[in-house]
Amino acid sequence: MLDIRSLSKKFGSGDSAFQALKSIDITIEEGEFFTLLGPSGCGKTTLLRLIAGFEQPSGGQLVLDGKDIATIPPNHRPVNTVFQSYALFPHMTVAQNVAFGLEARGTNPAEIAPRVDEILEIVQMAHLRDRKSSQMSGGQQQRVALARALAPRPRILLLDEPLSALDLKLRKQMQFELKRLQRELGLTFIFVTHDQDEALTMSDRIAVMDGGTLQQVADPRTLYDHPANRFVAEFIGEANFLSGTVAGGKLSLSGQAPVPLPHGADASGPVTVMIRPEQVVVGSAGGNAVTLDGQIEALVFSGTDTHVTLRLENGDTLSLRAPNNSHATTTFAEGEPLRVALPVDALRLLPEDIANAA
Amino acid sequence: MPRNPTAAASESAVARAETRRRWSLALPALTVITLCSILPLGVMVAYSFMEAGQYGNVQWGFSLEGWRAVFLDRDFFDDSYIPATAHLTILARSILLALATTALTFVFGIPTAWFIATRPPATRAYWMFLITVPFWTNLLVRTIAIQEVIRADGTLNRLLLATGLIDEPLQMMFTNGAVLVGMTYVYLPLMVLPVYAAIEKFDFRLAEAAYDLHASRLYCLRRVVLPLMWPGIVAGSILVFIPALGAYVTPRLMGGGRAMMWGNLIDLQFGQGRNWPLGAALSITLTLVVVGAMVWYARRAAKGDATNG
Repeated sequence: MLDIRSLSKKFGSGDSAFQALKSIDITIEEGEFFTLLGPSGCGKTTLLRLIAGFEQPSGGQLVLDGKDIATIPPNHRPVNTVFQSYALFPHMTVAQNVAFGLEARGTNPAEIAPRVDEILEIVQMAHLRDRKSSQMSGGQQQRVALARALAPRPRILLLDEPLSALDLKLRKQMQFELKRLQRELGLTFIFVTHDQDEALTMSDRIAVMDGGTLQQVADPRTLYDHPANRFVAEFIGEANFLSGTVAGGKLSLSGQAPVPLPHGADASGPVTVMIRPEQVVVGSAGGNAVTLDGQIEALVFSGTDTHVTLRLENGDTLSLRAPNNSHATTTFAEGEPLRVALPVDALRLLPEDIANAA
Repeated sequence: MPRNPTAAASESAVARAETRRRWSLALPALTVITLCSILPLGVMVAYSFMEAGQYGNVQWGFSLEGWRAVFLDRDFFDDSYIPATAHLTILARSILLALATTALTFVFGIPTAWFIATRPPATRAYWMFLITVPFWTNLLVRTIAIQEVIRADGTLNRLLLATGLIDEPLQMMFTNGAVLVGMTYVYLPLMVLPVYAAIEKFDFRLAEAAYDLHASRLYCLRRVVLPLMWPGIVAGSILVFIPALGAYVTPRLMGGGRAMMWGNLIDLQFGQGRNWPLGAALSITLTLVVVGAMVWYARRAAKGDATNG
């Protein structure tokens, strides 16, 4: 278990100082596939480098198995890294690369060869063990980088955007394989990415970061269904934002008749309301729902559904996905009016977030 | 489809034209190599097998006297042959001083190159400029400058005397040490430049990866940094060793007659000694020593590659 406690990192000093991380608290469980997700410059790579030991924290603790490892140099930490650039040693063969961590740590030579064979078998690179890294494709280099980091049996494996250099098809395949490998080994993975699809499909839990702070830490479903704020809602998937007012336990949206608050929601005064495009219903919905009228501004056919951009009467736009399982969507035309319903239980009330309001 | 004989013929015509074209493109280079390298070397080989003229020059006629004199002296009293120990001493001194110069330029050059290569890119050009400044200065001037530093009433001695560290000037000139200091100073840039190029190309993320993989700094240096810098170090060592072995100006000025090197011995035969065949034979001997060292190194490197790869 890795306990990150009030970890902060400041680069530089004085006026040019840059606060890359502002007091991060996360507990990463044993055997978890944990992802740090965020746009570039959000601090995710800095956090990973702090865990690896390449950077020293400005404050806080990194507690691994009850011991603060924040001041231990990288070569003595039981964590290994798969680098974005792979950083394979070009003058060594695949097998020599994989053996490096074991040799550097002074593992008994008799144990190194079997371990190298075993790990190359796991990543399916045994047949290329005598190749040099310059003679391999990106996907192969990636497997070797993975094998090299796994060979010394780290307590935690750190992966710094390892799939970003691969083409789409290979990336999908490697996502699947990484996840399978992580399950089979039961090893804790800390994975850094800016790709939300990658994060959603692979992770047990995701920490969404922005501006050096944690926005939300949750499993993929919770992040998508119950984003903590506007930034998370926008970064993960697509979202519509509408402004409303809560008064007397009722929500008024775009001048429509007040409806009861969604289940479990609690607020008063002006609020930002979020709804995912696929939750918007064409026509009117049964039960509690807000009905809105608008004009179709754009239509994009995408096979299973039709993406509709609707211009509402108050000037806001609303995007929705109308499934193509009936003939209803064939009657849609740009410029035509359309009535939609927003089921109350699909609405999410978000706190007003000044920093991300723009 | 069977090969068409005319097509085959025109194909070989194309091949011949291609060969002609390649030879004509290589011609300027071949001309320069022949005129500037093979021809002079041939002249030297020919001279080494001729007789010495009375006032220098050579006389036509085959003689092994030049080569004999490289290795054997004639005894002053009974004309019997004895090994030319003076020549062997000078050869040994030349090789040792050249090796020591290479080692010293390595010791001073690696940190220098490392320092420059790890500066921000904008300031590297400035440091490189400083390293190349001596190249713009005449070798003689540079050597006299270093002489000025270490001679009996030179800068260093005056400084040491002034601080009271010594009571009388240290006699540093005209020793092997003086030659070594001079050559290290003169050849240092030849080590720094290729090593700098190798370090600049080095991807420091590899050092980070090694560090992550439990390598200590020393282990990383030995297993990752040095092997990848090796081609630069080899290039630098060759660039220093070869001219140092045949050095002539620096040993002459710094070593005088007491710490003579092979280059000075050759010079002596063409000048005061008036023994051109011996001078030519000594030159060829030096060339053979250098070629031998290079072949030995290349073989060893190839073997090392085979066992590593």
